[in-house]
Amino acid sequence: MKSSVHSSGSWNLLTLSLALLFALPFFSLIVTAGSGGENVWGHLLSTVMPGYLKNTFWLMLGVGSGTLLLGVSTGWLISMTEFPGRRMMEWALLLPLAFPGYIIAMVYVELLEFSGPVQEQLRLWFGWQDYMDYWFPPIASLGGAITMLSLVLFPYVYLLARTAFLQQSATLMEASRMLDKSAGNSFFMIALPLARPAIVVGVSLAMMETLADFGTMQLFAVQTFTTGIYHTWFGAYNAPGAAQLSLSLLTFISFFIFLERYSRKQQRFHTQSSINNAHTRYPLSGIRAVLALLFCIFPVLFGFALPAGLLIQWATESWRGVMLDRFFSDAGNSIFLAGVTASLGVFIGLLMAFGSRLSKRRRIHWAARLVSLGYTFPGPVVALGVLLPFAWFDRTMDAWMQETFGITTGYLLSGTLFILVFAYLVRFLALAYGTAESGLGRITSDMEEASRSLGKNTWQTLKQVHLPLLRGSVLAAGMLVFVDVMKELPVTLMLQPFNFSTLATRAYGYATEELLKEASLWCLTIVIVGLFPVIFLNRQLRQTAPQY
Amino acid sequence: MIECRNLTKSYGVLEAVSDFSLHLEEHEFLSILGPSGCGKSTLLRLIAGLEVPSKGQVLLEKREISGEKIILPPERRKFGMIFQDFALFPHLSIEKNIAYGLSGSRSEKQKRVVELLKLVSLQHLASKMPHQISGGEQQRIAVARALAPRPRLILMDEPFSNLDYQFRLQLRREIREILKHEGVATILVTHDQVEAITFSERVLLMHKGKLVQAGTPVEIYQQPQTLWASSFVGEANHLSVEWEKTSLKSPFGFLDVPAEIGKETRILMVRPEDFILVSAPDDEANGIVKTVEFSGAAQTVGVELKSGEKIQVSGSPHLLWNLEDPVKISADRYLCFNSSGDRLDGFTTK
Repeated sequence: MKSSVHSSGSWNLLTLSLALLFALPFFSLIVTAGSGGENVWGHLLSTVMPGYLKNTFWLMLGVGSGTLLLGVSTGWLISMTEFPGRRMMEWALLLPLAFPGYIIAMVYVELLEFSGPVQEQLRLWFGWQDYMDYWFPPIASLGGAITMLSLVLFPYVYLLARTAFLQQSATLMEASRMLDKSAGNSFFMIALPLARPAIVVGVSLAMMETLADFGTMQLFAVQTFTTGIYHTWFGAYNAPGAAQLSLSLLTFISFFIFLERYSRKQQRFHTQSSINNAHTRYPLSGIRAVLALLFCIFPVLFGFALPAGLLIQWATESWRGVMLDRFFSDAGNSIFLAGVTASLGVFIGLLMAFGSRLSKRRRIHWAARLVSLGYTFPGPVVALGVLLPFAWFDRTMDAWMQETFGITTGYLLSGTLFILVFAYLVRFLALAYGTAESGLGRITSDMEEASRSLGKNTWQTLKQVHLPLLRGSVLAAGMLVFVDVMKELPVTLMLQPFNFSTLATRAYGYATEELLKEASLWCLTIVIVGLFPVIFLNRQLRQTAPQY
Repeated sequence: MIECRNLTKSYGVLEAVSDFSLHLEEHEFLSILGPSGCGKSTLLRLIAGLEVPSKGQVLLEKREISGEKIILPPERRKFGMIFQDFALFPHLSIEKNIAYGLSGSRSEKQKRVVELLKLVSLQHLASKMPHQISGGEQQRIAVARALAPRPRLILMDEPFSNLDYQFRLQLRREIREILKHEGVATILVTHDQVEAITFSERVLLMHKGKLVQAGTPVEIYQQPQTLWASSFVGEANHLSVEWEKTSLKSPFGFLDVPAEIGKETRILMVRPEDFILVSAPDDEANGIVKTVEFSGAAQTVGVELKSGEKIQVSGSPHLLWNLEDPVKISADRYLCFNSSGDRLDGFTTK
């Protein structure tokens, strides 16, 4: 009896083959990277690599310190002090997450470039004639990219730091005060070290996003690994070179994955449950309260309110001029792709989470874990990894058909929506899988066994016990995948069929033609869609976090 | 050394501590005993400086440290505190936890840490992390950490309630000895009457934010100020009585009580061990045995009196009783309480 519950061989096979299917791009990259006939690697090393390394290094350092400073300080103010407006800032600080890096970059380029309203106004005030007369910080630069990404990525750190501060036992801080340390000292000696693992997790997430960013770097012409992969493939059609760049980028990323996983483990020891968790917030009043409020408003203003306001203004100014039929067809494409990917993703994610749970074998767990790596792969890497094996398949198929039947099949799969959706799944399946897995974690194995002992098979159990209990997490998973697909740029750009575009790729296309105002309706739509996960996240926090 | 004058702490309409005064001598061990939610932890936190009083003062060596004008921050009071959940810093090793409150050179700190580890007999745990040691060990380390900066006062908030019962007794004895050895004054907050009685020289009984009674454990047990105190500390039987002409009529006969007290008395309190239980023929008996609980060293007998009231009597384990035995009950010690539950003073039973 027991063995029939657990050794479901077909489930193992299903989980394993799904995992391998979605790990295909990774293997194809390894194979391609090794197939470089001439000395591609040496060539890369001597030409583009130093530039990529330098830019990537400064970018990491800049965004790392930017998100760290903004995230920890706001996290501390929101969790440990009380000032008028604090409750509103608590959720407002999450809003910048709704902006994809490339959209905020587009807005600021339009606002701050030479012909933009800010510089125009300055010239008017000071009587400057042209750019020779004055210096203005160039927005399309490494520094600009660092600022943009820090503004939209700091909420990761804020969120994790805030939760960590709130979870700390209040008695630890009191114990420190009783041992003759001031409140300030106690913060640096107790609260900050205890929150460190959570902060490291937040910064690692922000770093991975930065490494994976394509749109912002491309718009600002900052050469990094991610844009390099794109150019090596699209500019030079150098597949082995692009694959080798991809693998070196993945090495970087794996360091941050390791750092993140390790810190999450550390966190367990640092957040021990405690009886006395009721924090007394430091009440701030007068000028200190005003400063705290302003400090929290600053990143929300520049990371959300101002760019969103500008987008609304430009969209209302320009919507008559734009081709609305084009907008609706793009929106339709985006929604179709996002809907299909979300449904498939949730279904496959559930199957794999369920299969991995049923199985007692390490191999299956490991395989399922492999899938979640796709989420850390930058878009161009995924696109390349998916494109290569499918192109090979098309070529081989075509050659075989010609040889055998004398007919040509051409590109069967390359350049179709099928390959695009597959690439999305590789990239975002982890979201669906992770959510399903954590949802399943709340269903005890006793429930499963009770259902099986009452004569239901695995499928019936899944349908009658798990799915009803999982509805909430399944909806959440679907929503997260949906929104991420709507925002996705590089994969779509590299894999979309000819004469096909989505909201994101059209907006990007306008931006490269410096038609940023025309793009505002597209951008605004993406930002509004991006708000849904933020609202959802905020609601979840309200439900789980103790209220003070 | 420490004095609290009319301390009051209110949260909105709720007064957690109201008009509470206490004083503590050098080297003294004091317990604050009360049920959960009576405000005893708040009182301790007011003394520690972790809470700001709404009214009243805390004085250290006659100098105000908490009051309307001044709140000395906790880190400048030089008190040690031991928490219910031990509050060891999870990211620091045992050694570093103990050294946390120390200042001075590295070798001085190291010397003091070794001294304290020896004092609590846990030298072998120096480099371990808090999550690697047991609850009892964590508690002893918490004591060592609090003692390290040589505080003048140790404040303990329910320090033993997170430990297993068996272990608690032993650890309590050990920690008491360590604190006595260091000669540091101690205030213990607890809801456990046995803990308060065995740990300290003086007990303050607290109920609903107010001081009910202060005294030695013996005084509080033998002369409880209120009916509530009599049943919170120890077991108590409460019996309704009436004044009739010249004496007090109780369910076990007329009692000889001075008239000025007897007239006011409504309730009689008798400890289970103060009843005298003898076998009697049916016509002389004033009660019947209804329950017998044998617990080795003693025997608790539940008796239903003719008046209908039920009482608990503790008897010798050598004289075994059977259910439905007719018995005659009398009492050689009892206390009188008026209608509002306050003890009527001025007379003592033999």
